[in-house]
Amino acid sequence: MYLVPFSTIIGWLTYSAFLSLMALGITLLYRTTKVANFAHASFVTIGAYVTYTLTVIFAANPYAGVPVAFVVVGIVGLAVFYSVLEPLRRRNSPTVMLMIATLSLDVLLLGIINIHADYLTNTYSVPSRNILLSGSDFTFLAQPGILFIALGTLAVCTVAIYVLLNFTTLGIALRASMENPQLAEAIGINVSMMLAISWFIGGGLAGIAGALIPLWTEVNPSIGTILLASMFCASIVGGLEQIYGAILGGLLLGLVDVVGTAELASFLGPWVAFYEPVIPLVVLSATLILAPKGLAGIGLRRRR
Amino acid sequence: MGNLQVKGVKKAFGNLRALDGTTLNVDEKTVTILIGPNGSGKTTLLNVITGFLKPDEGKVLFDQSDITGRSPQEIYEIGIARTFQIPAMFSKLTTLENLLVAAKNHPGESLTKSLVKRLWAKYEKDTIEKASKILDLLGMSEQLDKPASLLSGGQMKLVEIGRALMSDANLYLLDEPVSGVNPTLAHEIFGRILNLREQYGITFLIIEHRLDIALKYVDYVNAMVSGKLIAAGHPKDVINDPRVIEAYLGA
Amino acid sequence: MDISTQIILFSVDLFALFAVYLVIDIGLNIQQGVTGIPNFGILFAVAGGAYITAGLSTRLAIIILGIQTNLNPISDNVSVLQLVNPILHAQPILAVSLFVLFLVIGGAAGAIMGLIASAPAVRLREDYLAITLLAFGEILNVIGAGYTPLVGGPPGVDLPDVLAWAGQYRFYAGSLVLLIVAIAIYVLAGHIIKTPFGRTLRAIRDNEIVARALGKNITRYRTSSIMIGSLFCGIAGSLWALYSGAITPTLARFDWTFLPWLMILIGGMGSNRGTLVGTAIVVTLNKLITYFKYAFVGIVPFNIIWLNYLLLGVMTILILIYRPEGIVRETLPTTKRTTGNNVSKPG
Repeated sequence: MYLVPFSTIIGWLTYSAFLSLMALGITLLYRTTKVANFAHASFVTIGAYVTYTLTVIFAANPYAGVPVAFVVVGIVGLAVFYSVLEPLRRRNSPTVMLMIATLSLDVLLLGIINIHADYLTNTYSVPSRNILLSGSDFTFLAQPGILFIALGTLAVCTVAIYVLLNFTTLGIALRASMENPQLAEAIGINVSMMLAISWFIGGGLAGIAGALIPLWTEVNPSIGTILLASMFCASIVGGLEQIYGAILGGLLLGLVDVVGTAELASFLGPWVAFYEPVIPLVVLSATLILAPKGLAGIGLRRRR
Repeated sequence: MGNLQVKGVKKAFGNLRALDGTTLNVDEKTVTILIGPNGSGKTTLLNVITGFLKPDEGKVLFDQSDITGRSPQEIYEIGIARTFQIPAMFSKLTTLENLLVAAKNHPGESLTKSLVKRLWAKYEKDTIEKASKILDLLGMSEQLDKPASLLSGGQMKLVEIGRALMSDANLYLLDEPVSGVNPTLAHEIFGRILNLREQYGITFLIIEHRLDIALKYVDYVNAMVSGKLIAAGHPKDVINDPRVIEAYLGA
Repeated sequence: MDISTQIILFSVDLFALFAVYLVIDIGLNIQQGVTGIPNFGILFAVAGGAYITAGLSTRLAIIILGIQTNLNPISDNVSVLQLVNPILHAQPILAVSLFVLFLVIGGAAGAIMGLIASAPAVRLREDYLAITLLAFGEILNVIGAGYTPLVGGPPGVDLPDVLAWAGQYRFYAGSLVLLIVAIAIYVLAGHIIKTPFGRTLRAIRDNEIVARALGKNITRYRTSSIMIGSLFCGIAGSLWALYSGAITPTLARFDWTFLPWLMILIGGMGSNRGTLVGTAIVVTLNKLITYFKYAFVGIVPFNIIWLNYLLLGVMTILILIYRPEGIVRETLPTTKRTTGNNVSKPG
């Protein structure tokens, strides 16, 4: 049996942790608001720049970005919900309008991110593109700290969501709003507020994922855009019925992507790495053809 | 032509047995009405016959050939037309266009042929004429160019019927064709149904609750309860059948 | 440079940009407005048209013009074109023929991309369809950058100057030619929408279930719609490449996904004429913002390129909330009836 190098496995697990965190948010938002959130890309990028900004302005430890990004992007999510999505939802806007909305929000946020990046450069004389903070990372058991933090954060978030959804009144109300909004409304749940909370959480999750990215790979304002296909692929592969499917999706995609690319490269040559972005697409297509319900989920097809 | 046989059809949705071994016959060139309390499976039966649902068990035969599980498109081609209980319009198309879409084998509907107007101009003209006539029959001439979304509920019902009439089908499955339509017009519609049966030998299976209007036009009545046929025969016999009375009063 | 020259140059470029976007938007409108397919991956077809035209153009030029050379048309692109362009300059008819050939190639490339995209498109529900197509869209940038023989990798390639015969009026001629092509496609699309084929597309958009009950092969119509729409997008990509004279594998989402959607949104989705108006408005607006933002340099502490993103992003959101049916009072395309000698009033 051919042995995969240990470093590739580390790469896989780290990447999967990121994908899962991002996909968690996407699936959550899809379950509550029935919209595929294009702006998730920018949410993630904002998280990354929160971390960087803290290190620049406050010389903070890069990991300090995590809680701060959670709050910041969570608030961004809230703002997005109340200013754009809720008005559209009230008007019963068709799905395609919601999609254009999230696409526009992504554009808008991208502009803001770039402006902030320029501001950092001009005011603090630091680079704001091609940022990499992995040099500030600690090591543990001879591995980069980010591996443990990423996986650990994913674990914490998963448990937190599980507890929230199953053991708190709020969580149960949230689930009711996801399953059957009309019924939830009828029994007195403020569905609008539940959706808003889900956008806070969804945004927050994206923020957390983004906050950790600078410790793992180079960050540009376009990092979210680059990862968009992968995060959605992970979400779809995991299936949409269970929020936890996102974790499976992240693991699977991470496996195919990191290990797959490494293996192909060792057989065919380093040029394979250039085509790595094709992988999420292939995995996505394969999933849609072979197992449209994802690893655990509802049908994506038009006819059931 | 137009003979329909349903044999032992079963269809369940999870634990709900919508059709529980339904067997019924519709003789050709007859007007048969299907009655039953809400939830007895009438619309589900129509959906199975027309291919929108695949039965778990059982067969559907049309003119002795097996059409079980064929697609809705094929069913339409074979010569079965249906209407929907809740009128389904092409909302941004005009009333006229709603009917025009029902035309079969229109050469202008192929992308390549559509580019050469000469290939389909005559067919289109004939289709428009036919549709205009039908709408005239239904008293809808004023609404021809109106977007269908602006029609009233009753008018939409008429468009449904008009669309079915465009198909030159041999078997019409009408799902509550006159609900929400004023009695005078309802009588007129049923009158025309009878006409079509006389003139062209068309077969009708009609789901209808408004027995006060429909009963005098029908040849046979079939009664369904809980996914099964409980009575079938001449109108007088069926509506006086104790089981049928119980089903309606008990419901 | 005096004001009038500035205005003329501005306008010339504006018309060219308008023409390219019009063709894209017509292609998008046929898919989204007429058939209800939310194709967020038109970049796939546009890039397909642009990159394949760019990649094949120099190669074909060598063959057709009978030029003997050992140089590689892609990696020695500039040198090869020094052999090609003088011939094109001297023989306008040949140059125009090549131009038409390249457009055909672009259209074919677009249609093929459309066919590939239609595989998921006819199976998926709207929202996940959108994501999938979006992801597809940007894959060509990756392939273009990675597979050097296509467009020469990240630096890109130049294209044969098919407008060389116009000499110093190259850009004016280019603009005019682009406009002519765009108007022709506009007329063609308008015709298609009014045919029974177009009517069936609209019916499928409005109510797929009933369309099926009336015997329509939904998959076939959706595929046709995507292919013709993508064919137009491919032609637009080709036009863009030929007008610009050079292509790098970097067609961006903002320019070629977001903006077209904004254009058909403003115009009111579905109506061909609305698409024309929407395109005109946004192209002009975008170009004006780009042109005048240099007036803001120094006033704002950031690169004013991002102003475009902010303004247009906000504008789209406002329209979605307050005027989703678009700015243009939409005239729905309808089938007119003629009774006897009378032509009835337009619907």
